[in-house]
Amino acid sequence: MIEAITEAMAQEMARDDRVFVMGEDIGLSGGVFKATAGLYDKFGEDRVLDTPLAEGNIVASAIGASMVGLRPVAEIQFADFITPAMESIVQQASKIRYRSAGGYNCPITIRVCCGGGTGGGLYHSQENASWFVHEPGLKVVMPSTPYDAKGLLLAAIRDPNPVLYFEHKKLYRTAKGDVPEGDYTVPIGKAEIRREGRDMTVVTYGYMTPLCLEAADQMSRKGVEAEVIDLRTLSPLDRDAVLTSVRKTSKCLIVHEDKRTLGIGGEISAIVAEEAFEDLDGPIVRITGPDVPAIPFAPPLEHAWMVNTEKIVAGMEKLATY
Amino acid sequence: MGTKSSRAVAELEPEKSENGRELMLGLYRMLVKCRMCDEKARILFRQGKYAGNFYSGVGQEAAEVGAAYSLRQDDWIAPSHRDWTSNIIKGAPLKLCFAQLFGKATSPDRGKSTPAHMGYPPIHTITPASSIAGQLAVGTGVAFGLKKQGKDSVVVSFFGDGATSLGGFHEALNFAGVHRLPIIYVCQNNLWAESVPLRLQTALINLSDRAKAYGFPGISLDGNDVLAVYDAATKAIERARSGDGPTFLECKTYRWYGHSEIDPAKYRTKEEVESWKKRDPLVLFEKVLRDRKYLTDESKDKVAKDITQEINEAVEFAEQSPYPDASELTDYVWAQE
Repeated sequence: MIEAITEAMAQEMARDDRVFVMGEDIGLSGGVFKATAGLYDKFGEDRVLDTPLAEGNIVASAIGASMVGLRPVAEIQFADFITPAMESIVQQASKIRYRSAGGYNCPITIRVCCGGGTGGGLYHSQENASWFVHEPGLKVVMPSTPYDAKGLLLAAIRDPNPVLYFEHKKLYRTAKGDVPEGDYTVPIGKAEIRREGRDMTVVTYGYMTPLCLEAADQMSRKGVEAEVIDLRTLSPLDRDAVLTSVRKTSKCLIVHEDKRTLGIGGEISAIVAEEAFEDLDGPIVRITGPDVPAIPFAPPLEHAWMVNTEKIVAGMEKLATY
Repeated sequence: MGTKSSRAVAELEPEKSENGRELMLGLYRMLVKCRMCDEKARILFRQGKYAGNFYSGVGQEAAEVGAAYSLRQDDWIAPSHRDWTSNIIKGAPLKLCFAQLFGKATSPDRGKSTPAHMGYPPIHTITPASSIAGQLAVGTGVAFGLKKQGKDSVVVSFFGDGATSLGGFHEALNFAGVHRLPIIYVCQNNLWAESVPLRLQTALINLSDRAKAYGFPGISLDGNDVLAVYDAATKAIERARSGDGPTFLECKTYRWYGHSEIDPAKYRTKEEVESWKKRDPLVLFEKVLRDRKYLTDESKDKVAKDITQEINEAVEFAEQSPYPDASELTDYVWAQE
């Protein structure tokens, strides 16, 4: 998947000279995961800028540059280190358009590497996407396939709003799939049905998507057909896609890696409870990370945190009994 | 709008030059305008004409006017909460400035932002957030974007002594130093960050010392001397415009009133306040003009009378303007293609 991300940036920089990338270690070294590999040689320091180690300033600089007509793509090396940029993202990027009644816009893209399961420990494993879903004015996306990775990134860069583009590091080298060479976008705000099924709706996104598909295949052998929805965009949520599916299947399972309380699952649950209560034949079930501060380092502890296929299957089996 | 001249006052030799006379009278008119508008804003708040709050800059006008007066139309200002008048200096119509206080639909942000937090895109003043040092960081980003595009516009960033303690301040100035960005950091050091005295804010005597750490010049000056500020700012603007990078100007000054209109400022002594009022930037400059025979009682009255009329019209416009309709609550959340 990481090649698709690199390709999207390279193509958009070639197409639109307003686009440039900035962040820590993205230039000379090509990024700690090599997401910007080759861009420095191709476009030079002026458009592939290694910044001081200051996330707040990376985003603030991008915001200011976007206000005078540029299209910055800022990288936050790990979602764990996005906290120094909260002022810039939450007080400035999400509100500058609103507080100026459209006088100033903020068309920036913030690429954020996130997620656990790689032994990264407390501070190289966090997701933190839901923090930003709470902030209207910010769009939040997270691809699960190489095709979407490229199409969503191109859509994000062209979007007139600030977009946080989360990349799960487990998918960088495990997600495989065809990616068209040419120009295309994946619409922001549209979920994708990855697997059709009549018996239950599974709502998920990012790295959890392939795990849910694997779990659905296992359940299929037991005669339960799950419909798997990959949200792709976390804000604004594709409510219609979720509700249409739940009305069909009458059951809803939500799967995410991030912590449970006030996670995306809580919001999806509320939407389904409010809008599709009459259609439900069972409780809304959430399979999520635990309410623990962050993903710990020791392998058994990390394993205990991570949502895996077994946990998803267990949730599906529970829901299937209703 | 101020003069487009970017020559420093000293070079103009004001006593010999008609340009110098016009420039000095222009600075004077702007000082008086800012003072009168600010005092009117305070009165209107106390009369209950608008809610929220107001952050008066009375006493600090020389720093505000001196720093922003020579900016061009295409230059930018990143104001803070106490810099409502920077919009006036940059050329915003007074009607819009007072509509802003009232939160009316005719204000530049259609009643979204709080009274003193005004920006006006046509003159490139950035609508500020209330988070201190936030707009300083965004203003630095604007300077970054201007430089990337090869433009020769510059940014003036206004902030107080309190802002210099925030991490965002240091990150921004460091970045501006690295890339020699076209920005002038104008710190209006009024000795009090709300109620916290400078001695508990910093161990420094001169805040301009900070600039050395970021690799660009820092100058501390009498912020109540409009010519001194104008001179230093004009040179800094010229320096920024020609690609030589940022300058930090510490204008030592004083706010006459509380942090806001609901702050009686009892943490300061009467003696301190009175000693600064004796150094009223308007009175100081008026003496300079009278010594040069540029100002008479009559011409002074005329300035005040003209501004009073403009203010009255602006207030009437603001009062008669409608509030935004409740349906506008959800407007401007998202930009469309």
